[in-house]
Amino acid sequence: MKDKLLVTPPPHVKSPKAVQGIMLDVVIALLPAAIAGAVLFGFRSLLIILASVASAVASEAIYQKAVKKQVTVNDFSAVITGLLMALTLPPDVPVWMPVIGSAFAIVIAKQVFGGLGYNFVNPALAARAFLLAAWPLHMTRDWLNPMTYEALSTATPLVGFNVTGQSGLTLTQMLLGQRPGSIGETCILALLLGGVYLIARDVIDYRIPVGYLGTLAVGTWIFGKPGALFQGDPLSGILLGGAFIGAFFMATDYVTSPVTPRGRLFMGIGAGLITLMIRLWGGYPEGVTYAILFMNLVTPLIDRYVVPRYYGSGHDAVARKAAGGETR
Amino acid sequence: MNENKTFLGYDFVKGFIKENPTFALAVGMCPTLAVTTSLVNGFWMGVAVIFVLTFSNVFVSLLRKFIPDEIRIPVFIILIATPVVIVELVMKAYLPAMYDILGIFVPLIVVNCIIIHRAEAFAYRNRVLNSAMDALGSGMAFTLNLMVIGAIREFLGTGQIAFGSAVFPKAPLFEPAAVMLTPPGGFITLGVLMALLNIAVARVSKRKTTQSQSG
Amino acid sequence: MITIIKKMIGGVSVPDKKELSESSPIEFAGLPGELILFLSQHIGAPSVPLVKPKDTVKRGQVIAEPCGFVSVPLHAPTSGVIKAIEPRYHPGQARMCEAIILEPDGKHEPAEELSPAASDLDGISPDEIRELARQAGIVGLGGAAFPTSVKLAPPEDKPIDTYLLNGSECEPYLTADHRLMLEQADKVMFGFKGLMKAAGVRRGIVCIEDNKPDAIEAMKQALSAYDGLELAVLSTRYPRGGEKQLIQAVLGREVPPPPGLPYDVGVLVSNVGTAYALADAVLTGVPLVERVVTVTGEGVAKPSNFRTLIGTPVSYLIEKAGGFKGTPGKVILGGPMMGCSLRSLDVPVFKGASGILVLTKEQAVEEPILPCVKCGKCVDVCPMGLQPLWISAYAERELMEEAETFRAMDCIECGCCAYICPAKRPLVQWIKMAKADISSRRSAQKKS
Repeated sequence: MKDKLLVTPPPHVKSPKAVQGIMLDVVIALLPAAIAGAVLFGFRSLLIILASVASAVASEAIYQKAVKKQVTVNDFSAVITGLLMALTLPPDVPVWMPVIGSAFAIVIAKQVFGGLGYNFVNPALAARAFLLAAWPLHMTRDWLNPMTYEALSTATPLVGFNVTGQSGLTLTQMLLGQRPGSIGETCILALLLGGVYLIARDVIDYRIPVGYLGTLAVGTWIFGKPGALFQGDPLSGILLGGAFIGAFFMATDYVTSPVTPRGRLFMGIGAGLITLMIRLWGGYPEGVTYAILFMNLVTPLIDRYVVPRYYGSGHDAVARKAAGGETR
Repeated sequence: MNENKTFLGYDFVKGFIKENPTFALAVGMCPTLAVTTSLVNGFWMGVAVIFVLTFSNVFVSLLRKFIPDEIRIPVFIILIATPVVIVELVMKAYLPAMYDILGIFVPLIVVNCIIIHRAEAFAYRNRVLNSAMDALGSGMAFTLNLMVIGAIREFLGTGQIAFGSAVFPKAPLFEPAAVMLTPPGGFITLGVLMALLNIAVARVSKRKTTQSQSG
Repeated sequence: MITIIKKMIGGVSVPDKKELSESSPIEFAGLPGELILFLSQHIGAPSVPLVKPKDTVKRGQVIAEPCGFVSVPLHAPTSGVIKAIEPRYHPGQARMCEAIILEPDGKHEPAEELSPAASDLDGISPDEIRELARQAGIVGLGGAAFPTSVKLAPPEDKPIDTYLLNGSECEPYLTADHRLMLEQADKVMFGFKGLMKAAGVRRGIVCIEDNKPDAIEAMKQALSAYDGLELAVLSTRYPRGGEKQLIQAVLGREVPPPPGLPYDVGVLVSNVGTAYALADAVLTGVPLVERVVTVTGEGVAKPSNFRTLIGTPVSYLIEKAGGFKGTPGKVILGGPMMGCSLRSLDVPVFKGASGILVLTKEQAVEEPILPCVKCGKCVDVCPMGLQPLWISAYAERELMEEAETFRAMDCIECGCCAYICPAKRPLVQWIKMAKADISSRRSAQKKS
């Protein structure tokens, strides 16, 4: 034998899907929302997106070089973090904010815990929460009017909706993103396009977004109108604010969501419930960030108790019943 | 090393790196995270701890032959509570503004792990002079830690560092990040400093071993 | 009666690549320069040699006798001279095993005592079939190589109501069972009926995946000659033909977790190759000395199905199949999902080996192992409802007790998890490590 034969453990054929390809799919799925954000809120938002992605990639490379680890920026996960981070920012924030945010996301929330696969919260959301705590005024005031790019002195429509139960926007306006809000959260059609792409490519499990948005819609319908039950506006409840980007792109992050299908459904429902509670009865106008971060923290617990049904478990159940039937 | 007078200097120095209360032993986390929102707060908290620690270490060491093993912890607490009350009253009298800021964390020094840890791990087994040096070393290291954390948090959180009437810089250079003054900011600062110190210690000890191997 | 079954829990759909060899008729591979016959061809105690070096033997002559109940004799596949009895590398067990080395004399002369046991099943009793299966050295040819005579004698308190004939051949590339069902449908069916008679089972179901329509047609014809036989056509999905998966899909029953066996739920499963071997033993008296082996893959010039003597070296079979096409990257004994890759081609075919797969240099790339991203795909595809990511994570950190609580012992090593893993982690290997550690600890406990 001239050439050595490769000897590896089975299986000897592998699925063509690799981590890098999956991450690239997520980037592709986020592009419509990013483009929509750039169109709606102008050149400035494009600058924020680029700064955020550049900072995320650079932070990852610099950190990994510094601690002498293999540089893994080509797996696109830093790009996703930077992109997501930028899309959740108000369009008029100073450009240094996404730069600091992405660096925080990559270094503090991801790399110090061991890098991809070991972070326990979604890096982009952790960084958003950090920015919200660090510079709350920028994060809650720097809105722009879509298309006109004028700075806005009032709050986003969601704030009013939480108080009155009325959005004051038409369905078309909401779907196209004709409202003030974070760069990537307003254009629902673009987000839906990306989300459906990810589900069709079998990248994400539909259970998380469906559970999330379903719970939020039902909850808004029941409690959304102050002083009356079952009269809320469920559609505005999920279309205003960041629920769509959160449900399709944040809560579905592999590393920080449960591994079993049923667990993922719980993740979606839990995030929906917490979002609803923060919006209606909490101190913040929007609860998506904290809801998903909270569910990230609960994920190990869900993974522990929500396990798949194993083959042959019926026999164990019968045996347990026979053995312990009388002592109970 | 026990009962050995010749290591007085070591007993003082070891508190700074090897047995650094905050970064190596991770004791006294409560005041470390709660009061380090500024350099000055960290300084006064540290001073209070130095006083209490020295007092308690000296008395624990003096009485170590007479304290029954079974009830040593309650006895320690009494020996610690005495100087704490002194500190509290003095502070109330002469530094009322600082007392308002440090508030509950001054009386809580009674149950501060550093004090009990040094009493149990060192003073209870060592001579008076060694125990006093240990207390001074640990206390000053603790004060330094609190001041460093406080300075970082104050600078990032307010954009300035104030010490007495001196303020540096005169105007903030950047938009301060309010988060640094909140508990998460404390945790992040602590974690980053702890990591950096551990990296430095690891580097140094690695260099030492390679040197001793080659030499 | 034909049932069509599409449902399956877990599993993956792998490109089956059966087109490479499925249209090549079974040919006799011929006599190689030497045959390497492991004394341990089967699960259970190795056989004990009855011959010495320089002995001459005839085709079908017993050369090693069983040792214990779970054991079978070994026969000379052809006439020739015993060269040596020495340890050789056994790829299936990944260690050196004692083997009888036989040099064929080219005459292929049968032993005098070989004679048909019966011409039909009425002329032979269940006990005689079981004894014949043992004397003929028949083991399960699906891969596990469990002695068939033992399988046919389940404990008294476990009534068996159904016998499944496994013709699903779910491993990609392999077509040995496919060709056998197509070309020898009547004989396979005769053997199946014999197995059923020996086990005293009335209901028999032939299970075939729907990617073999011609084999389904042939078997349908063949089973119409008997009554009490049914046909189940299953959608193509790996690991459809796993014993436990087949029972679940066809009968809706689940075998209890280990040490549970199919007979605990009243079922026996045998491979079509096993049925054929039994038919051969009954009708001609020739013991299990040959089997059908598929030699296939993109790296082989002429993918073929060979009737191969047990002990034939892999290198000989690849030569027979036209040699390599291009530079071979990997040679696998068995299928691509569960087979073992070979370091050297001097290893022989044994009773449980159903194929030789040659992958090209381009196909045989070793991909870097990345950290687990917890995508949960391995959980989705596990046909046993396990969570391979946790078992392997614990095994990797040598926390075998935790791996056991995640039901490592239930793993059937089908390889679905490692196939689907986007981080290319060798999940099965780690789980196998955990299993080996757990069982050695258990047996140590038993002894003390």
